[in-house]
Amino acid sequence: MNTSSITALPGIELKSPGAGLITLDPVRTALLRGLDELLTGLAARLAAPEVVGPPLLSVEGLARLDFFRNFPHLGVSVGRFGSEALDGLASGGSPQDLPLQPTGHVLPSATCYGLLLSLEGEDVGEDGLRLSAVGRCFRNETHYDGLRRLWGFHMREVIYLGTKDGASEHQRRGGEYVEEVAGRLGLTLTRAAADDPFYDNGGSRARLMALDPVKFEYSSPDGTAIASVNRHRNFFGERLGIRAGSHGPAYSSCVAFGMERWVHAMILAHGTAEQALERLRAAGS
Amino acid sequence: MQRVTAWLNEKNPGLDSPIGVEEDLIEARLIDSMDFLEFIDLLEEISGDSIDLQEVTIDDFRTLARVRERFLGSAVLADAPAG
Repeated sequence: MNTSSITALPGIELKSPGAGLITLDPVRTALLRGLDELLTGLAARLAAPEVVGPPLLSVEGLARLDFFRNFPHLGVSVGRFGSEALDGLASGGSPQDLPLQPTGHVLPSATCYGLLLSLEGEDVGEDGLRLSAVGRCFRNETHYDGLRRLWGFHMREVIYLGTKDGASEHQRRGGEYVEEVAGRLGLTLTRAAADDPFYDNGGSRARLMALDPVKFEYSSPDGTAIASVNRHRNFFGERLGIRAGSHGPAYSSCVAFGMERWVHAMILAHGTAEQALERLRAAGS
Repeated sequence: MQRVTAWLNEKNPGLDSPIGVEEDLIEARLIDSMDFLEFIDLLEEISGDSIDLQEVTIDDFRTLARVRERFLGSAVLADAPAG
């Protein structure tokens, strides 16, 4: 990566349009792109083809995946102005207090949902299927905190669907890759069972997950989780009718990277964005 | 044990063969995560004892054999399916 021409914008301040919303400057943008390129090495290693997921998800599809039962607070819904409002808007009226009509869609909260929903009814065969994608994801949060907690962020995922053993292997190799890349980048990460933001933390799913963690997170020294490895047993296979040949409903797992959080972790580890970019350049060469 | 297998069959109407005593109920999601607490309630009701989730591991719920041994006592083994 050529970073010699990447500099801060002299005398220019890139303003935030609101809480949890950030325009990345050129150096941080170069970090994000370079880190994504490096982390996509996992997809190359596992021969996972690159795809582009859908920008919106249907609420009907997500409901079938229990998304709203688990995370009703996270979903950022998509509305449109009704036709009765359009003339007023076109003549300069304020959009601020106008009601929105639901569209039946929400913004993705994770990259894998769109990919999984696209595979409904498919047979991925006994060898299974891997896909890799990066997408912008959105979550309503109670507070926002720099690059650590944004309203919208980039999530790179490498997913697998296939056999039970294949899903475990994917999770294991994903974890190994996270640790390998962290070492090259000079990041110290700790691995721990994830504490997912279930709406009902005392609910059945949360209690089972506490007993049998299916998700592990890798966190930087300030506690920011920057990557996770997750297995879903055969949940998505069953709910979406995705089969793995004679093995029946597909088991699945995924490796996920929160890209802005990797940028944050790099700056935390190396002092400044510029120094972090230099380290990234050295790791990538 | 019959009530346990009846509950599992009710939750999994598509099963075409009996659930084996060593079959992994958790990984195969024969106990769906959304139904896990209901399963605990069922075991508590049958055994008459409360289950403290701080004092169990996931393996205590993993197979019919282990559920029987851990929560229901070996006396009810006889009616478990052999498969």
